[in-house]
This record gives sequence, structure tokens and C-alpha cells, in this order.
Amino acid sequence: MTSPALAKRPSRRRTGGAGIAPWLFISPWILGFLIFTLGPLIFSFVMSLHDWPVVGKRTFIGLDNYTTMLRDDPQFRDSLWITVKFACLFVPLNIVLSFLLAVLLNLNLRGTALFRTAFYLPSVISGVALVTIWSWLYSKEYGLLNYLLSFAGITGPNWLGDENWALLAITIASLWGLGGSMLIFLAGLQSVPKELYEAARISGVPPWAQVIHITLPMLSPMVLFTFITSIISAFQQLTIALLLTKGGPVGSTYFFAKYIYDNAFKFHDMGYAAAMSWVMFAIILVLSMAVMRWSTAWVYYEGEVRKDGGNG
Amino acid sequence: MKTTTRIIAPVCLGLALWANIASAEDTVLRFATWNTSPESIAVNQAIATKFEAAHPGVKVQVELYGDGFDDKLTAAMGAGNAPDVMYMWNFPAYYQSLMPLNDLIARDAAPLDLADIPESLMKISMIGGNTYAMPVGFTSQVVFYNKDMFATAGLAEPAAGWTWADLRTDAAKFRNAETKTYGFAVDAKPDPYDFEMFYWSNGTKYISDDGKTLEGYMNSPAAVEVLDMFADMIKKEEALALHIGDETGGKALFTGGKIAMYQSAMWDKTGIDESGVNYGVAVLPQFGDKPAHSVIDASGISISKDTKNADLAWEFVKFFSTPEAVTMRTNDLPIRMSVAKAAGMDADPHLKAFFDILPTSTRETNAFLKNPNWGRIQENLARAIEATMIDQGNAKVHLDEAVAASARFLN
Repeated sequence: MTSPALAKRPSRRRTGGAGIAPWLFISPWILGFLIFTLGPLIFSFVMSLHDWPVVGKRTFIGLDNYTTMLRDDPQFRDSLWITVKFACLFVPLNIVLSFLLAVLLNLNLRGTALFRTAFYLPSVISGVALVTIWSWLYSKEYGLLNYLLSFAGITGPNWLGDENWALLAITIASLWGLGGSMLIFLAGLQSVPKELYEAARISGVPPWAQVIHITLPMLSPMVLFTFITSIISAFQQLTIALLLTKGGPVGSTYFFAKYIYDNAFKFHDMGYAAAMSWVMFAIILVLSMAVMRWSTAWVYYEGEVRKDGGNG
Repeated sequence: MKTTTRIIAPVCLGLALWANIASAEDTVLRFATWNTSPESIAVNQAIATKFEAAHPGVKVQVELYGDGFDDKLTAAMGAGNAPDVMYMWNFPAYYQSLMPLNDLIARDAAPLDLADIPESLMKISMIGGNTYAMPVGFTSQVVFYNKDMFATAGLAEPAAGWTWADLRTDAAKFRNAETKTYGFAVDAKPDPYDFEMFYWSNGTKYISDDGKTLEGYMNSPAAVEVLDMFADMIKKEEALALHIGDETGGKALFTGGKIAMYQSAMWDKTGIDESGVNYGVAVLPQFGDKPAHSVIDASGISISKDTKNADLAWEFVKFFSTPEAVTMRTNDLPIRMSVAKAAGMDADPHLKAFFDILPTSTRETNAFLKNPNWGRIQENLARAIEATMIDQGNAKVHLDEAVAASARFLN
């Protein structure tokens, strides 16, 4: 009896043979992922269960690092709170400003190309150079910012030396790198079908309403993307805090990521730093999942058909 | 089969060749430093080159870790790939990865001529009775002052035995709001390691000698007095506050004629010399009639516990403390008093003050040698100092906070 299954055998062998080649082709990526991402990831979790000094004996301590963090370490809570405050400032501002800039650049006025480059330029500048520029701008006595404010009769604050201003100063400096999300919005804007606007114009819809009822819904997938990547980058903010304020003044910009960094490289407590990294990972994961779930309510994918149920 | 041979053969050949080259190559000694200034690089390289000349078949690979010294060293040690020989100062953090040198020092006592090296410098690397480094250079702290500004103001220059009260009286006379000139500069974010010398000078210390008590030390009345005094200098504009949201350093202000007096150490002297400022060097002021202490910042050179070239590494370390190598260093003070005397340093008006304060500077032990968690405790202290300078007072409150926040690190 020749069953269909038997008849299929040769073809299965062929696919099996072909199966190795594709794996080999993507092996550089797979190996890279295993060695440089998944491996360290698992390793860091193992580390987080140990008292792991850089030198000296490593001892297994179970969840002690996690309980210390939650129970005994006030700096953990402080740093987390500072980071949350920063994220609350940075994420909405980053989305709104990069969206507005993209809308402006999409008007196709003269010099658009120049401005597009200018706005994107900070994104390609290295963090260290960016920090150097901002430390000059923010200087209380000699800074450009306070000099400009003095024309308006305002005595500028000590941006980086005042506990009440430093976090805002870091937020502004971070927003300077919004070129990346601006570009994403711009690409999205240029793919919105012109017919939609034409139809709206003919129906007499004012421009601001076109932005709200056409542009925003059409760009909602980009908003979602920017939302999630901004949350991630807000929680991982390190360079600017490390170099511009060094966590000061008086710990007011002592971000979560900097505390992790200090635990690892200053206090040489790798286990604790690894445990903190996992907490950060969990927070980002939960936030991202919450945003994803919530997004089904407001993100519109072109060609998407809303289904009320069923499994078709 | 054929394909396999085609692949394997060249690989084998390559490996054989590589092994051949490696065996014929020099023994490489890796030497990590934190210096990245052109002068220091040149000095270290010159010493390494001399060593290579005396040891054929040896190649010293100078690795410049710079500002990232601790990060890179930590990473290298964590990965089991530490350099053979390295600069070192933070012994409590690293001593478990370093080779104890007691036996080697005892064996080579004669060529090392330890009598010529101040005992305080040998002490810097001593933990649990073991010595982990040979000193290579050091500096004490002094006050640089601008002679021309003192002459213009008609003030007598600082003299031995001067006090902080004297400094404050002088400093007040230099204040000029229009030209943004101040008499002195107070660092709101000093390195706590250095700052302890003011505690010592006022008769207190950060932590008890057994490393277990902060209460009554870090926040003692004498400590509060020290912090409040500096804060008051900022408040009364006798001093400019450094590092409150501004990274302009004291050296730039001093060489630019914006401050008349500047407390610092050898690491700023080259820059001040080059600026052409007409300056003098005074010893640190006293608190009343109590003798002034200076902290000693000393660098040592250590050997990794895991080195495969232990003998060669020790030869290199020894070479670094020969008079010949000591003489070649210019960015700090010579560890051999014979070298200092031969160069007339202890009489040089620009260097004398660095040596004059040495006798009181061996009496106290740095806090970081007393408690293994000092790195974390120090964060709280640094914050208290900064907060006091920003508040322009309130030292007691901030120091009490620091002591309370540090309680959990006292074991």
C-alpha cells in the first residue's frame, strides 16, 4: 500500500537537507545572539542570586539581593522614583515634540531639507560630545542659556547645581536627541494617502481637525513604537546623568541605571547590580506589555478589519 | 573528503605557523596605568623602554586605561585577564587580586634600600600585614597663592603656622564682584579621601579606628565645625564654590587670576608652572593651634596574583623604584628622599611645602583602610558635604543624615 505519507517522504528529506543550509546562513546572527545576548542574560540572572564581588569568593545567597533592595536600600527607591519622574517628563514630551516637528517638516516649505538635517544631527552626535555642549550651555555664570535669559530680564537658575532644576535640565538635554523618532513620524506622514486630505479639504474640514482625525490615527502605529522605545530609553538613561551631573546635586539625578552602574563598577557588587538590572528589565517588560495591550484601543493599522469575535 | 582536507590543511598550517611565531616572540609584560597626560605617558613609556633594554626578549606593553581605569581593571579581573603589573591605589577594593610582596621585599631588601623610602609610603598598600605594592610617586596637599595678587592687595604672603582664620581674613580682601574675583575656592564635591585631612587637622576623623563607629566621628562637633566653616566661606563670598552645577576647575580659575589662593596638589603644579603665574606655595593652614595634616595621595605599582610572569613582573616593579626610574618621574614627588635631596627639592620654594607637612601626615589611617564598605559609606558623606555647601550651612543635619544612612554598612 502506498500511502500519501510514504509518497511524501522524499520531499521531506529534501527539506531536511535544505534545512541545514538556511541555519548555516543565519548562524552568524544566531551565534551572536546566543553568545552575546542570551548567554549574558542568563548569566546575569545566575549572578543576581549570588554575592558576587569582582575579586574574591562568590557565594550563593538566593533572593537576598532582591530582598535587600526592597527592604533595606533607600537609594534603590529614590533612584527608581527619580527615573519614573524623568520618564513621565521625557516620554510624553518626546512623542509630542517629535510629532510636531515632523508635521512642520512635512509642510514642504523652503529649507525643509536643511532643517531635517539640523534636527536629526544631535542624534548622530556621541553622548559625550552632547554632554560637553550642554554643560557649556547650562553653566550658571558663563552659559549661553542664562545669557539669553538675561536679555528677557530673567536671572537664570543654576541648571545643573540646583536640585529643583537638574532633572529638568537633563530632560531637555535628552530631548535634543529626538531626531530618531521625528524621522519615524516623518516617514509615516509621507505614507499617509493624499486622497484622505483632499477629501477632507473638499468637505471643509479645517487643518487642525485634519491633523487630529486623519494624521494622528494614521500615525498611531508610529506613536506606539515611539512610546515603547521612549519608555525603554528613559529607564536606561545613563550617559547624560553620568557625565552631566554625576547623579548630583545631592543625588537629585541619581538615576536607576547610574545606581546599577555604580554598584557594579564602583562598589564591585556585581550580584546586586545584576539583580537591579533584572528588576529594571521586569519593569520595562510590564510597562511595554501594558502599553501594547492598551494600544489595541487606539492604534489603527491600515487594512486592518476590526473583528468582533470568532476565529475566522 | 577532499573539501574537508582543503579546509583543514591550511588551518593546521596556520596554527603551526602561529605557534611558531608566538614561541619566537618576546615575553610580553602587560602594564596598566591610569595616566593619560602626555608627560605621564612619556615617562611610563621611557621607563618601560629602559627596562626592555636591560632585559632582552621582554616587551612591556603599556596599557593606558585613563579615566576608565577602575571599569577596565574590574572587567579585566572579572574575566580572569588582568594585566601583569598595574598602577594601584585602592588596595581595599583589589588586594585579593594582588600578589603579596612581603617575601620578595624581604629577599631583595638590600637593592631596594627601603631606608630611603618614607615609611608612610610603604604603609599605603598594607592590608592585614601584607604589602601589596611598591610606591612609585606621591603628593601631599598645599595652598598655591598668587604672589602678584597678594602684592597688589598689600597683603603679607602666607607663612608657616598660618591658620584658616588668617586665610579667611586675607580671602575676604580679594573679593571683587565686578571682576568675579575671589580669595579662595571651596570644592563642594571634594574627593572624600582628600577631605579627611581637614577632619584630622581639626582633631577628628571619619570613622573610629576599629572601623565600626561613625556616630561621634563623622558628625562630631569638630567635623561640623569644619564643614560649616567652608560653607560660611561660600556664604560670606570669601570663597567661590566649585562644582555646584559647574565643572570649571580651581586650576583654571587660579591660573586665570580669578582666585588668589587654591588648595591642591602636585597634579596641578605643571599646569600652574606653564601658565606663567607668579605663585608661591604655602603649607596647609591650621585650625587654631592644632597642627595641620595633609592626606598623602600615593600611587603604587602592584602585581596581579594570576600573572604567569611573576619573576619578570617583580623585576619590573623593582626597576620602577630604582633611583634611576624615580628620577625620571616629573608629575609627582620622588619616593626616594635621596632623589629629592639630590635635586634640591626640599629647599625649592615651590616644593618645600609638600615635604614640610610630611611629619604629621603619617599619624592617621585613611578611612578606606578601616572598613570594607567604605566605598558606600563615602557616598553618603560626599552627599552631606555637597548639601552643606549648597545650603551654605546646616552641616550638623546633613552629617547626621549621612551617619544614619550609613548605619547598615557598619556590619
